[in-house]
Amino acid sequence: MSRPDWIVLVLTLLAIIAYGLYKSRTTKDLDGYFLGNRTLPWYIVLMSIMGTQASAVTFLSAPGQAYTDGMRFVQYYFGLPLAMVVLCITFVPVFHRLKVYTAYEFLENRFDLKTRALTSFLFLLQRGLSTGISIAAPSIILSSLLGWDITWTNIFMGGLLIIYTVTGGAKAVAYTQQLQLIVIFAGMFMAGYMVVHRLPAHVGLLDALHIGGQAGKMNIITTGLREGTAAGGRGGFDWNDRYNLLSGIIGGFFLALSYFGTDQSQVGRYLTARSMGESRLGLLMNGLVKVPMQFLILLLGVLVFSFYQFNKEPVFFNKSQITLLEHSRYKDSLVLVNREYDAAETMKIKERNWLSANEGKKGQAIYVEAEQRLHQAEGLKAWARGVIKRWLNDKQVGGDNNDTNYIFLRFVTDFLPRGLIGLLIAVIFLASWGSIAATLNSLSSCTIVDFHRRFTKKELTPYKEYKLSRMYTLFWGVFCVGVAQLAYNIGNSLIEAVNLLGSLFYGVILGIFLVAFYRKKIGGTAVFVSAVIIEAFVILLNVLNNKGIVHLSFLWFNVVGAVGVVVLSELIGLVAPQKK
Amino acid sequence: MNEDEPEDKSPLFPRWSYWYALVIGFLLVIIAFFYFLTNYFA
Repeated sequence: MSRPDWIVLVLTLLAIIAYGLYKSRTTKDLDGYFLGNRTLPWYIVLMSIMGTQASAVTFLSAPGQAYTDGMRFVQYYFGLPLAMVVLCITFVPVFHRLKVYTAYEFLENRFDLKTRALTSFLFLLQRGLSTGISIAAPSIILSSLLGWDITWTNIFMGGLLIIYTVTGGAKAVAYTQQLQLIVIFAGMFMAGYMVVHRLPAHVGLLDALHIGGQAGKMNIITTGLREGTAAGGRGGFDWNDRYNLLSGIIGGFFLALSYFGTDQSQVGRYLTARSMGESRLGLLMNGLVKVPMQFLILLLGVLVFSFYQFNKEPVFFNKSQITLLEHSRYKDSLVLVNREYDAAETMKIKERNWLSANEGKKGQAIYVEAEQRLHQAEGLKAWARGVIKRWLNDKQVGGDNNDTNYIFLRFVTDFLPRGLIGLLIAVIFLASWGSIAATLNSLSSCTIVDFHRRFTKKELTPYKEYKLSRMYTLFWGVFCVGVAQLAYNIGNSLIEAVNLLGSLFYGVILGIFLVAFYRKKIGGTAVFVSAVIIEAFVILLNVLNNKGIVHLSFLWFNVVGAVGVVVLSELIGLVAPQKK
Repeated sequence: MNEDEPEDKSPLFPRWSYWYALVIGFLLVIIAFFYFLTNYFA
């Protein structure tokens, strides 16, 4: 990175920390520290909800996802607006009426202590580990591309935010998230503008989208039906297909309902609102803006794809893996493959330029011939990439053959002007900070409210509880950075690990809450036993999935967990009716 | 607390159910728009 980039990066990060400290003043008790005295307006709640959900990976991974797999990932968010409506009708009024600090407090009120403790424990386990992994994922990408030391990157990624999170609690988290989102959107908008600006003069935005469309990247809506279904052949719905309309609406609904309704990192955000109405408005606005926002981030990936049709695309976006091959037994073959790839790239750029400039000749023999040469070049490129991926998969090389998460940042570092690179690296840090800060605050609130306060007999003053909460926030911050250090060896599959971890636990937690809200006759023991059995079943399902015995996308684990707990509790309730 | 309490009054619309309909309606419109884009750029 150049000096202007470093200046932009350091100044942006320092400004956020200073702003967080400036906004740190709260009353020195749990209400002030964890809920900002319940005084925040809906738009701060909205920004806080969005800032908590959008992690660094959202901005790194989503454009790469669109680049490789197309826009269909946006369907993953279709269930979210529906979940917002259900939350506003059911969850929000109860949480506000009971004036809870954590979502799990309500479970003791409705069931018993053991159900509250189990649910809060599942949350702490899942969130503590996945936050550590969430720190490691962008750190690995930044350290690979920019050659930074991984330990220091982890400390900066997960450690600096501790300063304002420990000091200012939920209020500092919410106000910094507001500023962070402004910087993030400004950075992403500028990146989008630069992609279009750097396209050849004769290629406009619509042309770029058509190029993406021709390559199958504008597959925004997909049905998940196997080929041949319509023709009456052997088709049917592909349950292993992750992103389609049905899995997005149903699986996405359960995931969003679990995440926003039962994950304290989100519940803690809308409990900071000054009234129930402000909480509702923040959530409903999130339901309105989330899908378009995600669409635009993915669209950036399609534009980057079109950009690389006119510019040299690296054979593999993760530079460090190419360096690995250069020092392996494949180093001589790599030179030959690179030569073939470069020739194909030159041919691709030449033909693509000609085709774009001569749209009027479509259908003529000369146009068809140019298209054929383009396909030939694409075929050669795919072959070269395939060879490189195979080499990286070789156990002796020990490489990582998935470069999806490196695509956007590689484009940024290779093609964007000085200063803007620093801003976009800052975007990655800020997205990470916003999400992690909210999580640390929620981990601390559950530890003190659901465990420390509940299980120790010693009465503490509000000030001592506040001091203790700060200590717990610090503890969880250090814990998560420690997990990030240990998670380094998992490699690029870290992002999948975060999604999978969530899906393993969210469904069961949601099931407990659904029984609590909708099945008034079912008691604590029935739901507790069901939750333990279904959690074991979901984990078994994952093991069977990994072994290839079952073929089920992880999104469906949420549905299995939630429905499983509801149905089993009902059955146990019928066999052994209980009073609360 | 219920919908009649002053602090929970729905802004812009007389009732919260209008907001819920707006969010669901917007989702349907946006899915239809995405369907159109998928076919248009295919």
